[in-house]
Amino acid sequence: MMGITMHKLLPILAALLLASPWLPAQAQRSGEIQRDHVVVELVSEVEAVRPGQPFRVGLLIRHEPDWHTYWRNPGDSGLETRFSWTLPEGFEAGDIQWPYPERHEIEHLVNYGYSGEILLPVEITPPDALSDERKAGISLKADWLVCKIECIPGSAELALELPVIDPDGDANHPIPESGFAARFARADTRRPESVDWQARFSTDGGQMSVQVQGADPVGIESLQFFPAHATLVEHAAEPFFALDGDTLQISQPLSPYFIRPPEALQFLLVEPDSARAWALTAQPGTLQSAGPVSGSIGAGHPLYLLLAMALAGGVLLNLMPCVFPVLSLKAISLVSSSLEHPRGHALAYTAGVMLSFAALAGLLLALRAGGEAIGWGFQLQSPWFVGVLIYLLFAMGLSLSGVFEFGTRWMGLGQHLSESEGLRGSFFTGVLATLVASPCTAPFMGTALGLAVMLPAPQAMGVFLALGLGLALPLAAIGLWPPLARILPRPGPWMDTFKQFMAFPLYLTVVWLIWVLARQTGPDGVGALLAGLVALAFALWLGGHPAIRRRTAAAAHAATALALIVALAALVAGTRRDGETPMDVNAPWEPFSTARLAEINADPDIGAFVNMTADWCVTCLVNERVALDTETVRRAMRESGTVYLKGDWTRRDPAITRYLQRFGRNGVPLYVFYPAADAGNPVVLPQILTPATVASALNRN
Amino acid sequence: MPSRKFTFLALLSITAALMACHAAAAPKVGEPAPRFELTDTAGNTHSLSDFKDRKVVLEWTNHDCPFVQKHYSSGNMQDQQRLATGEHDAVWLTIISSKPGAQGHVSPERADELTRTRNAAPTAVLIDESGDVGRAYAAQVTPHMYIIDESGTLVYMGGIDSNPSADPADIPSSTQYVVTALEDMQAGHAVADPVTRPYGCTIKY
Repeated sequence: MMGITMHKLLPILAALLLASPWLPAQAQRSGEIQRDHVVVELVSEVEAVRPGQPFRVGLLIRHEPDWHTYWRNPGDSGLETRFSWTLPEGFEAGDIQWPYPERHEIEHLVNYGYSGEILLPVEITPPDALSDERKAGISLKADWLVCKIECIPGSAELALELPVIDPDGDANHPIPESGFAARFARADTRRPESVDWQARFSTDGGQMSVQVQGADPVGIESLQFFPAHATLVEHAAEPFFALDGDTLQISQPLSPYFIRPPEALQFLLVEPDSARAWALTAQPGTLQSAGPVSGSIGAGHPLYLLLAMALAGGVLLNLMPCVFPVLSLKAISLVSSSLEHPRGHALAYTAGVMLSFAALAGLLLALRAGGEAIGWGFQLQSPWFVGVLIYLLFAMGLSLSGVFEFGTRWMGLGQHLSESEGLRGSFFTGVLATLVASPCTAPFMGTALGLAVMLPAPQAMGVFLALGLGLALPLAAIGLWPPLARILPRPGPWMDTFKQFMAFPLYLTVVWLIWVLARQTGPDGVGALLAGLVALAFALWLGGHPAIRRRTAAAAHAATALALIVALAALVAGTRRDGETPMDVNAPWEPFSTARLAEINADPDIGAFVNMTADWCVTCLVNERVALDTETVRRAMRESGTVYLKGDWTRRDPAITRYLQRFGRNGVPLYVFYPAADAGNPVVLPQILTPATVASALNRN
Repeated sequence: MPSRKFTFLALLSITAALMACHAAAAPKVGEPAPRFELTDTAGNTHSLSDFKDRKVVLEWTNHDCPFVQKHYSSGNMQDQQRLATGEHDAVWLTIISSKPGAQGHVSPERADELTRTRNAAPTAVLIDESGDVGRAYAAQVTPHMYIIDESGTLVYMGGIDSNPSADPADIPSSTQYVVTALEDMQAGHAVADPVTRPYGCTIKY
């Protein structure tokens, strides 16, 4: 033995090592197995197993071109790939570390899956002690479904064996990597990053909606949404994304096979362009809204929340340009020394507001119960109401400008009123505040209140009354709680200047309403109404001027009466509807009609974009200005062969009301896109548009 | 004016609630089932209203689909057909919505031959080449199952059973939803699982 030198031993040792059963050259892979349209193989990230130290193995799937297998949620059809492990005692396999999937559109369905080559890694944790084991056999039975248009289920049993090193488990150096380590590293680039961004979801109203806070790094241009639950959403319906500050909101219709919401919603957000993906978990909850009424009014919604938000909305109404002038003056007069019982005035005023709100809401609910299809803001669809409102606001403006004093007395702003007159004045200030608030409530909160109307009548009434209470609250608080009143400036000569200044917001409101009326009636109507305003101004000036009245009493009275009659006649004439507004031949849109829409939908080469709007709807006008009337959108319309149909609901139009109802709406705006090739699946766009939102919807065609 | 932001948020969240409505008009459990009229393999016309006062089971099929084969090779589908038409006095309509040339599309003769060779027992096999009826029911896969009660109301829609696999060995351990639904109806209570996940091959419309 002594004669055998080291250099003679080496080849023998080498041969022994190579032949060693626990270090096979192919330990790190099972060998490829060919199945229908895929080749699969079980591979390992490491060359050996060390006790207590987790390692990864994975199923490598190579798809034939156009064939794919599925993610954990396969989408509208398909089946997720499933693993079943056979491991040595004490070993545990984790879940599949799913790479983020691709979105596959097949026929009318959308699936989530993989194509090309994909690795599905799984972490295996060996027990802490493996002293008796020299190798670890790992077996996997994998089941999958591979589809192109047809689908073929596949299955394979795969096994590999890894040597156990450092069986006593106290080594510190890393486990040697296998030749597949780079492949695992590549899989990790498609592994979503787990983030703890706060997220809530709701399944109210036939819609899965999720709101994510702090989603700053996410851009919504190319964002994709993958819920991990199979029968939650209708995957073929494009999800909607909206980013407001750092709040991301995603909505998608619920699947017809939706049964109950998951306890927690797991989902991925993926930006395929930048290969970034995030894994999030959302808890069930109410989506946040700063608005007066939450978006998702459903059966599961606590009423107190709706009421609280309506109350907040009402308080905000105090700041509207049509309301603030009246109320600020009232507030000052309430604290002025001339009013003996501020509490009584506060209560009378609150009663005025609440009764008016109750009356308006009651009328609305009664009309609805009677089958009328109307929404909040319905008052403004009547040219009559708009005309009366114009007169009223104009008269108030004149009164504030000092043309006459009648209005101030009526509004309870006068300094020398008897107590009962004052109380009545306060009550009517409440009525007036509600009336003048309506041009502001309708466009800003019309949709929200329209939804509230869909609640059962008592609850709907509750929401309206809460809104009224909110409107009354600031003024009532000043009257009921004297310390608050001390914050307000003392009445004095400055009030006259302030009063006159406050006339201007009212005049602006008048101008806006005249413009609304112009769209409802046409130029002749507006001409008549403007003449009526002059007559009204004349009558008020004459009637409000004691000096003139005294000197030529009879003539002045006659003239006042005559001017009032002229004003009234002008109102009647001005608010009568003219014929149809002539169509603007140069406009890029056509007027909406169900017949025209059906005609377009029947043609597979052209799509339709329907815009339901009204002139008193500020949101609608803003959307038209910033999004629909832009070159981006016009180009997208041209390129996608889309006809732009515009329905005008400024006046009540039963055809449009019926159309709105088909989408569960009772107010505008409503934007619907009918893709040329798929007119049966119209897409409803959000109520706040950007050029990109519209263009991307159109280009999805 | 502070209203811009709150208007925006309010409208945004409301939008969410309202967008649901554009979802394809899938039939709803608890509502009248979509009416239809189709020709069977013998040339007879059947419409849903012909079966007033009877339970109707609809089975969407494609004989080349492995998931359909799972339930025919094991005899599970045939057993359910006999159980439904026998003990439950139901009408069982097998519907083929594959378009001509696509997988699963068959001539009436071939359909009859399949029924014979597989020893199947549907009341009739209906051909829906246009796919209109399949779309009206929003049938997505084969097998896709629906049950309509005596009043014409849809009471079940979804999968044939609870294990989305292609392996017949999984059948005994799975809940057979059509059977349990028919039993629930016979016992006079509501179907316990009225909506389940349908699984199988995409229908080739």
